Amino acid sequence: MSLAMQRRRATARRIWAQFRGSRQGMIGLVVLVVFALVAVAAPLLADIAELNPVRARAAGNPQWASPGEFGPLGTDHLRRSVWAQFVWGSRVSLFVGLAATILTIFIGSVIGILSGFIGGKVDAALMRITEWFLVIPFLPLAIVLASVLGRSVWNIIFVIGITSWPSTARLVRAQVLTVKQRLFVDRARSLGAGPGHLITRHILPNVSGLILANATLAVPIAILTETTLAFLGLGDPSSASWGKTLEEAFVNGAIVRNAWWYFLPAGIGILVVVLAFTLIGRTMEEIADPRMSRRR
Amino acid sequence: MHPRVSPLVEVRDVAVHFGPSRAVDGVSLVVHPGEVLALVGESGSGKTTLIRAIQGLQALSGGTIDFADGSDDVQMIFQDPTGALNPRQTIYEVVAEGLRIRKRPEGELERVSEALSSAGLRPPDTFFGRYPHEVSGGQRQRVVIAGAMVMNPRLLLADEPVASLDASIRGEILALMRNLVDETALSILVVTHDLGLAWNIADRVAVMYLGRVVETGPTDEILDNPRHPYTIALLSVVPETKEMEQQILTGEIPDSTRIPNGCRFHPRCPLLRSGTLPDPIAKRCVSDDPGPLPPVAGSAVACWASDQALAPE
Amino acid sequence: MTMLSVHDLSITYRTRSGPLPAVRGVGFDLERGGSLGLAGESGCGKSTLANALLRLLPAETEVTGEIVMAGQDVLGLSPGGLRAARWTTGAIVFQGALHALNPVQTVGRQVAEPMLVHSTVPSGDAARARTGELLERVGLPADRADSYPHQLSGGQRQRVLIAMALACDPQLLIADEPTTALDLMVQAQVLSLIEDLRRDQDLTLIFITHDLSVLTYVCDDIAVMYAGRIVERGPSFEVFERGAHPYTRALSAAFPTIGDPASRMSPAGLGGDPPTPGNLPPGCPFHPRCPLAEPRCREEEPPLRESGPGRRAACILV
Repeated sequence: MSLAMQRRRATARRIWAQFRGSRQGMIGLVVLVVFALVAVAAPLLADIAELNPVRARAAGNPQWASPGEFGPLGTDHLRRSVWAQFVWGSRVSLFVGLAATILTIFIGSVIGILSGFIGGKVDAALMRITEWFLVIPFLPLAIVLASVLGRSVWNIIFVIGITSWPSTARLVRAQVLTVKQRLFVDRARSLGAGPGHLITRHILPNVSGLILANATLAVPIAILTETTLAFLGLGDPSSASWGKTLEEAFVNGAIVRNAWWYFLPAGIGILVVVLAFTLIGRTMEEIADPRMSRRR
Repeated sequence: MHPRVSPLVEVRDVAVHFGPSRAVDGVSLVVHPGEVLALVGESGSGKTTLIRAIQGLQALSGGTIDFADGSDDVQMIFQDPTGALNPRQTIYEVVAEGLRIRKRPEGELERVSEALSSAGLRPPDTFFGRYPHEVSGGQRQRVVIAGAMVMNPRLLLADEPVASLDASIRGEILALMRNLVDETALSILVVTHDLGLAWNIADRVAVMYLGRVVETGPTDEILDNPRHPYTIALLSVVPETKEMEQQILTGEIPDSTRIPNGCRFHPRCPLLRSGTLPDPIAKRCVSDDPGPLPPVAGSAVACWASDQALAPE
Repeated sequence: MTMLSVHDLSITYRTRSGPLPAVRGVGFDLERGGSLGLAGESGCGKSTLANALLRLLPAETEVTGEIVMAGQDVLGLSPGGLRAARWTTGAIVFQGALHALNPVQTVGRQVAEPMLVHSTVPSGDAARARTGELLERVGLPADRADSYPHQLSGGQRQRVLIAMALACDPQLLIADEPTTALDLMVQAQVLSLIEDLRRDQDLTLIFITHDLSVLTYVCDDIAVMYAGRIVERGPSFEVFERGAHPYTRALSAAFPTIGDPASRMSPAGLGGDPPTPGNLPPGCPFHPRCPLAEPRCREEEPPLRESGPGRRAACILV
């Protein structure tokens, strides 16, 4: 029905209006849009060939050049442009963050909804598994998985996804348990609704706000995790994420040399993007659950 | 009242137990086509469990529930209309939901419009796109009623349909329910603690206490001339019946895990406590269960002393 | 002697979507030992009014007018004076839902708390003894003091809340829907308890409810509120039986008299819904729902006028 569509659009407009009213949310969004544009427009901002040390040497770039001496952000030990690394690194970091989040949220939501909705033995079993994943120290597991599976972007995404879904699952399950108690679920059941109808028409619409808010908060965690793994040398050697830049800067003594231009852009990039996602996530959370922001 | 008409629903010896708790403990009743039966009781009487069982939301521990033809046409309305409506669904989606679940797409728009009109929401199309929070409490209960009526039910189960509504709206919703019965041959089984509601719309009353029906009969008879001491006490504390001397029972309905021996009401029975009962009867009250009432349309009372002078005052 | 005198009281909530006038110019006097029932539906301002009497409203709420309780100007009290007045002069009994009590404290401690805070008892032992007395007075065994709220039934929790309100021997008891969530028989028990307390302790009572018929039980006088104003005031039985304001008549007709053939099979109700405080209709706020409304009802809001001996109503037809 087009009427329903109109209402959906009106709801979207209302949420957007609420979002626009939040200063922290708008700051986060603007920052994020800028970084997204940088990532999308990377080929226009810097030639990918500049990441190749052979080409950099051939082009006669200086080594360890400060921003004053070369380009906007100087060069590294292999004479590569730090600016190019920053621009192309934003692509990898954002992509890995988003893709890993989608995986996390997908696994977490499915487990959380099934666990909360079906209840009983299924719930008990799924929650034991969830707790098992939750108590395993995350970093060692991620390191083991990353080293066993090999160092590729897709493996990194898989590792992050498989290790960070439990908290989402527990959050979603708790919300499903509340929604399941609501009278409208009883009403639908008394109309003859089966589990499929109940989940898609009643449970999911009432947990989707929470899932979305949780997703925006999961992105920064995923980005930080990718950074950590890359910094530990478990990143994809062929793709230059911000984490990888940090690792190389550290390993090659940028800190000792006081070559701040090498590690600072990537570090600040991570910090700012993570902050932007957190601001957006908090705002979404407040919109999804007005009790958090409004007093009575 | 309807001795020759075959009942729409027949509930026989129904029991619902939760472990040691006997929430419903042998209830029989009938609902005939085109009548309103009020199931009256306090919380803990088992009345809500019983209608959930009739709706199929609650498994039976014993007994049978038979519908005249198929159980397809029973619908339910709830005490709290706000909670009964999904805040993310438009009113159109709410009302059409039953049709969609049962896969009856033909003429959906017409049937939704008709149901909204019959529930007093006119013109219906002005309500289609609204969300529950955009209409008033009384209108929300009408939406719930429309969502039930769209299925053309023969029996409507109503759980305290006006208890959470403002006083001035209460009458309108009750009038709507009575009109639906008079005009469409619907039957309503309404669960309530509100004797005024029964007086307003019910043809018959069944009074429940601790999992059993203890007195049943035509509304005028029961409310004008109650015979069970519990019914008498309940009526005496309704503020609207000033003429009766108040009989405030002490304590509360006992836990359904500890149903007293003998007559389940005897520990609180004012008649037994008054000491006016002849000894043999008083002994029976303490030791013998008067048993469940049969599913009759006429009057019946589960009290050993019911032949004694029980009239108020 | 006057226990409570309210004069031209207006209360406006400050909300995100603008000011919300909840009470609009209410005035009444209540004699010592008297009892007044405030009746009305959700949003009529009755609970706001009750909370204002002890200044229990959010700080940013705008309150104008005058409240004099036992000779004290409540709106002008210092924070210290206010704290003292809250339990020792006037005390409030809320609806006894589970959240009205602290779930992790025994009810005994909660009943004793106001006594210790206001030092109305010399020691903890004295407070314990008095708590036992209070619980017995509201019909609970003294050893219930060791129970937690969830171990009590709804009726018993309501009794605890009444005991708590009585802890510092207040002169005025404000009961805000104390029987609403209770079953019929338990409601009757609580009402008769309040009636007994009032008689034995010479309490002045303000009883708030949406159920007009309950008030005829416990109150000498009734004030019916609609859209933030008192629209009728008078002796309770007369107001209930022969309301002068069409709204009062509709409210009392909503609760049928059992045995009265006129209401058998004919539930009476009003069309429409109570107005929201932020969006009142012009003129008499009741006119859109009034069966007797005339064109001039849309223009002027009638003041309370004498409608009989000891009775006042705000309707152009009286």
